[in-house]
Amino acid sequence: MPVDTIAVPGETRAPTRADARGCRIAVAGERDFQAGRDELLLLSALNQGVNYPHSCRVGTCGRCKTRLVSGKISPLVDFALSPLTNRDLKDGYILACQAKVRSDLEIEVGLIDHRVTLPLSVVGEISGWRVLPGGVIDLRIALDEPLAFQAGQYAALAVSGSFVRRSFSFYDAPPGPEGAREVGFLVKHLPGGRFSGWLAARDRCGVRIWVEGPFGQMGLDDTPRHALCVAGGTGIAPILSIAEDRLQRFPTEGVTVVFGVRAQADLFALDRLERLSRLAPGRIRVVPILSHEPAGSGWSGARGLVTAALDPGLGIDWGRASAFVCGALPMVEAVEARLTALGLPRGRIHADKFEPSGL
Amino acid sequence: MLDYAKYLLSPVLLATSAYGLWLGGPHAWLGFGLLIGILLFDAFLEPDHSLRDARFPWLYDLIVSVQLVMGFAMILFYAWLVGQGHFDSTSSKIGGFVTMMFTQFVIVAPALHEMFHRENLFHRWLGRIGMVMIFDPWREITHVVTHHIHTVTPDDPDYARRGENLYRHLAKTFAGQIAESYHLERRMWTKRERAWFDPRNAWVWRVGILVAFVGLLWLIGGGYGALAGVGVCLLGPRILLEIFNYTQHYGLVTATPGRFEPRHTWNHLTPFVRLLALEITNHAGHHEDSYKPFYELVPDRTGPKQPQFLICLLLAFVPPLWFLMIREKLHHWDRHYATPQEREIAEAENIRAGWSDLNERPTLAQARFAVAP
Ligand SMILES: Cc1cc2nc3c(=O)[nH]c(=O)nc-3n(C[C@H](O)[C@H](O)[C@H](O)COP(=O)(O)OP(=O)(O)OC[C@H]3O[C@@H](n4cnc5c(N)ncnc54)[C@H](O)[C@@H]3O)c2cc1C
Ligand code: FES
Repeated sequence: MPVDTIAVPGETRAPTRADARGCRIAVAGERDFQAGRDELLLLSALNQGVNYPHSCRVGTCGRCKTRLVSGKISPLVDFALSPLTNRDLKDGYILACQAKVRSDLEIEVGLIDHRVTLPLSVVGEISGWRVLPGGVIDLRIALDEPLAFQAGQYAALAVSGSFVRRSFSFYDAPPGPEGAREVGFLVKHLPGGRFSGWLAARDRCGVRIWVEGPFGQMGLDDTPRHALCVAGGTGIAPILSIAEDRLQRFPTEGVTVVFGVRAQADLFALDRLERLSRLAPGRIRVVPILSHEPAGSGWSGARGLVTAALDPGLGIDWGRASAFVCGALPMVEAVEARLTALGLPRGRIHADKFEPSGL
Repeated sequence: MLDYAKYLLSPVLLATSAYGLWLGGPHAWLGFGLLIGILLFDAFLEPDHSLRDARFPWLYDLIVSVQLVMGFAMILFYAWLVGQGHFDSTSSKIGGFVTMMFTQFVIVAPALHEMFHRENLFHRWLGRIGMVMIFDPWREITHVVTHHIHTVTPDDPDYARRGENLYRHLAKTFAGQIAESYHLERRMWTKRERAWFDPRNAWVWRVGILVAFVGLLWLIGGGYGALAGVGVCLLGPRILLEIFNYTQHYGLVTATPGRFEPRHTWNHLTPFVRLLALEITNHAGHHEDSYKPFYELVPDRTGPKQPQFLICLLLAFVPPLWFLMIREKLHHWDRHYATPQEREIAEAENIRAGWSDLNERPTLAQARFAVAP
């Protein structure tokens, strides 16, 4: 159900109705841009090369959250059905990808200092299928045309002929502007999951599959700093990409990976993490932490939820580091709260929540 | 000014139908006869791609508001006539009922749909209250959220997949809409930290207005009047609307769920249908921006088109005839409108429907279908 147009009385600029050609969008502390009246705020920004934060573009990820200071927008659907919280709604937050511009606007949003790659749809064939511990499938797809992506981004996968379309993160290091001919994903087999259940049932090599991407902006943090990467389960996929990318780009900075799974038998992708250690000796530290490992199993590493590993004992300069957090929603929220408490600036915590992605 | 005057056709038809009901006897059929006559005549006309003069939007809004209020008055008037035993012969009873069914469906339902999509609060509330006339005031939520977001995917209960006949669709769509509106309402009251029965929850006050509507029919028309009024709403706008939905996106597919493209709907652009249905059949424009008032919609000249609206409605009742028509249309859509990925989904849908003969490379499509989720 749509809510009524959201209008915030502006002190400096009254909303104008009949501004047919364009509305001025003033981003607090950043550049202004023009948007056509009735255009979607996010799309309009992206089409003009404004690097507006976004990810899914269909109202499910919450990444384009924006505070409306003044002006009028109309939401495509009631924001109570979006990832915005009740608090957000009361505080005047909107989702730019779901907001039709109706007048000049004054908004608050942190624009991204980074080039945005617009998504493409490319077809390919499953070229690698391997079952890893913990019910995870290492899926590789050979593409008919190259696809470019940045570290930490993801794609929507849909098998040929199927309506089922799900998001999974690239785990390879970014290929550069020429793009990759083969891409890889780590897919967790979920009971009842339409896509992962199908994928896990048997070796799917040779199946034709569509890949639309890249989406997401989690890894976009171009500052050379220590990177604290926190992953729950297959949240390790974008973390592998980000870690490799940063180890290559910032030769003097280190990476700490806190990797949470249930038990020792569920630890996967360790070979990939070891490969990174060989790539950048002494600059990457991996802290596996197990939440459900039976007592007395001989596991000498950390135990508990990933938040348990986030303490001063890690020896991180919290005020200087950047954090990349990826996994299920409750885990991401708990980690964000913990890192903020430890003194990591909010603006340097970058997160992707692995929510069910079927629209 | 002709553009504005054209839209007066609907209020005039409503008034004439009401007059026919008042005269009673064979005249009770007047509204039905006129409407069907106009629609049949329209079936022979070429599509109308013209844009509307939009200099005085308030004039259009006035006409539609009046039309909606007239529709409301008419159902009360009908209940009163029934309560008075006004329709004495079987023929006039049936005539009155069908006249009401069709006028409420063709003329009143589009008006309330138009209004509940509007940004203006007065118009929106007029539309919301008007939803009692489709006897489903909860419809707005599944329509605006589910139908407009999940267009042409199996997640939209309004969508009919290839091979589905009308009767199966009707059973499926009612169940799907109830489940979906519960799911969405629940998400909203949970998000707003309210109890399910909180009177601020939309579904609760919507029950209220429906009960008030039935109460009003009862008060005016007694038991029989209320029964006839509710019967009109359910068999007329309610069911016929589902039939319209059945045709409107039939069998089309999307590879970009959540992102509507004009090829994801059929359009019916004949002149009288555009007027009577308030451009709702000018469907691509409506989906591109559902807040856009009907007079600003731009007909999609090159978009997918079905045969005329009434013809489609009639064909839908007879599945073999419907399939005969639609298979050919879909065959064309697959080749001319679908993206390569959509063509592959369409091929799989054809196989599912038992229509493999529509596929260009049936063996390849079958091999792909066999392994898809
Ligand atoms: C940006 C992003 C990146 C992601 N990256 C990865 C990744 O790299 N690896 C990975 O494994 N996962 C990733 N995910 C998560 C993944 O996309 C989802 O888990 C996806 O839904 C799995 O698809 P599926 O068809 O297997 O399961 P689905 O059929 O989608 O079902 C998933 C589970 O959720 C339940 N469920 C489904 N829909 C609903 C609903 N509406 N309400 C309540 N429960 C529901 C199902 O019963 C099932 O248990 C990512 C998600 C996002 C948003
Ligand atoms: S980009 Fe707007 S919610 Fe995802």
